[in-house]
Amino acid sequence: MAPVLPLVLPLQPRIRLAQGLWLLSWLLTLAGGVILLCSGHLLVQLRHLGTFLAPSCQFPVLPQAALAAGTVALGTGLVGVGASRASLNAALYPPWRGVLGPLLVAGTAGGGGLLVVALGLALALPGSLDEALEEGLVTALAHYKDTEVPGNCQAKRLVDELQLRYHCCGRHGYKDWFGVQWVSSRYLDPGDQDVADRIQSNVEGLYLTDGVPFSCCNPHSPRPCLQNRLSDSYAHPLFDPRQPNQNLWAQGCHEVLLEHLQDLAGTLGSMLAVTFLLQALVLLGLRYLQTALEGLGGVIDAEGETQGYLFPGGLKDMLKTAWLQGGVACRPAPEEAPPGEAPPKEDLSEA
Amino acid sequence: MALLKVKFDQKKRVKLAQGLWLMNWFSVLAGIIIFSLGLFLKIELRKRSDVMNNSESHFVPNSLIGMGVLSCVFNSLAGKICYDALDPAKYARWKPWLKPYLAICVLFNIILFLVALCCFLLRGSLESTLGQGLKNGMKYYRDTDTPGRCFMKKTIDMLQIEFKCCGNNGFRDWFEIQWISNRYLDFSSKEVKDRIKSNVDGRYLVDGVPFSCCNPSSPRPCIQYQITNNSAHYSYDHQTEELNLWVRGCRAALLSYYSSLMNSMGVVTLLIWLFEVTITIGLRYLQTSLDGVSNPEESESESEGWLLEKSVPETWKAFLESVKKLGKGNQVEAEGADAGQAPEAG
Repeated sequence: MAPVLPLVLPLQPRIRLAQGLWLLSWLLTLAGGVILLCSGHLLVQLRHLGTFLAPSCQFPVLPQAALAAGTVALGTGLVGVGASRASLNAALYPPWRGVLGPLLVAGTAGGGGLLVVALGLALALPGSLDEALEEGLVTALAHYKDTEVPGNCQAKRLVDELQLRYHCCGRHGYKDWFGVQWVSSRYLDPGDQDVADRIQSNVEGLYLTDGVPFSCCNPHSPRPCLQNRLSDSYAHPLFDPRQPNQNLWAQGCHEVLLEHLQDLAGTLGSMLAVTFLLQALVLLGLRYLQTALEGLGGVIDAEGETQGYLFPGGLKDMLKTAWLQGGVACRPAPEEAPPGEAPPKEDLSEA
Repeated sequence: MALLKVKFDQKKRVKLAQGLWLMNWFSVLAGIIIFSLGLFLKIELRKRSDVMNNSESHFVPNSLIGMGVLSCVFNSLAGKICYDALDPAKYARWKPWLKPYLAICVLFNIILFLVALCCFLLRGSLESTLGQGLKNGMKYYRDTDTPGRCFMKKTIDMLQIEFKCCGNNGFRDWFEIQWISNRYLDFSSKEVKDRIKSNVDGRYLVDGVPFSCCNPSSPRPCIQYQITNNSAHYSYDHQTEELNLWVRGCRAALLSYYSSLMNSMGVVTLLIWLFEVTITIGLRYLQTSLDGVSNPEESESESEGWLLEKSVPETWKAFLESVKKLGKGNQVEAEGADAGQAPEAG
């Protein structure tokens, strides 16, 4: 029964392995820390932009999963640093002997699993952002005028601050504001003929104008902002249509937000991929180091050659061992073991 | 009678040297922090130099940068000294330089304290430059065609949006200047002609403000024009309306921003100053205790460390004496030279 992927490790290569592992573990810790920072940043951004994403959007799960994966990667890195340091020092190694096995299993299963899940989310979730943003922005613009309706009273302030900070106007352009009543009815004069005409001419009784809120204004424009009667080219004198229109922000908020969030998710995804690679290398190295030192009976400085391996036997034998060990643990006393169990156990101890 | 005498045995000396070595490296970090604080303040002042007439004083950030660099240099040197202090052979090299070095350290600490005080006291000059700069900035708001001033509109708009302020002391400052360029006024319109005629200087003044004064928290769409005319807008009273525009003036907003920045920098600098004083005191004790070891071979012996060899008034008297002697020494030399010249002449 041959060990899987054996590697002969005399003293010098063992020391090199331990030193290289120490460096890789610090890199892994750093990568875990960077993931924690990135996902924390994304979470903070999502808290501010949460109103513009539909409630059914699953995107916030990504930074949460990345946070968990980053913590485990950080822990794995620190374990690697400690273990590789201890494997060079005979006095420090004994306490690690018992702990390293279960830690490796936890690291592979837990850490590896979390990283794979987070990576999968980073690839899949940004696709759902488009619809979520569309729905969220439509709702936000529709509630712009509801500054007195409880539950929606913050919409005006949030949309204004969004347009001011991200330099955008409307969903896909400033004309989106023409299709929404963004002036609250409370501030519309019912006695004004123009107001009454507009409301009557609209099927749903909405007051629609060809004007935009002040937050669409572009400070780079050389003239004071033109907010009203934008579709009437004769309304504003000396307006030169040949000049590039710098009056309002040209981009729509949908595109700006989509690009911003996709960039953040992309950065997070690439960091997760790098961490996955580093974690695999660290766990592999730790396993080889552990099995090599077990071969020496836990004595660090022995000059002898020893073999490091991934698994002691083939997959079938390993599963059988695990099954038997689990069976022995369940049974109360070894005498009660059926005779059929005895020969395979002897077989294993001979090998 | 020495000041604050402390007995030191070998172990204590070693511990003191090691502790000081560590503290000195932390202090190098602190020096880097002071340097970056000064750099940050300088960048912030540069960013807004347009509204400060380009005449703001950079004394505080420059001194912080200088003190940061000096702190790094002095403290790394002190760290090296503490490291060598445990080895009698290496320490003998440093021995003659320690006294003047400690004097320089004391001077450095005094200057650091003064710089920390300056952080708290020098914002009065900022207020006047801000007031003048903002007034000019608002005057040039409309000159988007004049090269050299075409960026002023963008600067003032971004400033009012970012700092949530309007005008110099309030939004009424905009009523007194013409902020709409003549290029965008329709001179064929009767209203425009009337306004210009009614003004003594021929300026087009409105009771309106730029869009950047608008407050997003207002429940109603922003009222920018005819602000003081209640009848122009439905259900509007300009006396009671508070949320429509930003109420604060940009001078107060910028001043409070820079004040809080400089105050926090002053607090950090004071804390680092305390740290540096501790290090200087520790270094003094190390120096005096190592000098007290009479025989360099018996490095295990006990010795005493102190801050000043005699008490404060005695030390001050001795210092004055040495200064007088220095003066007298010059006099005696001069007389000797005169006496020497006189016989030659005679």
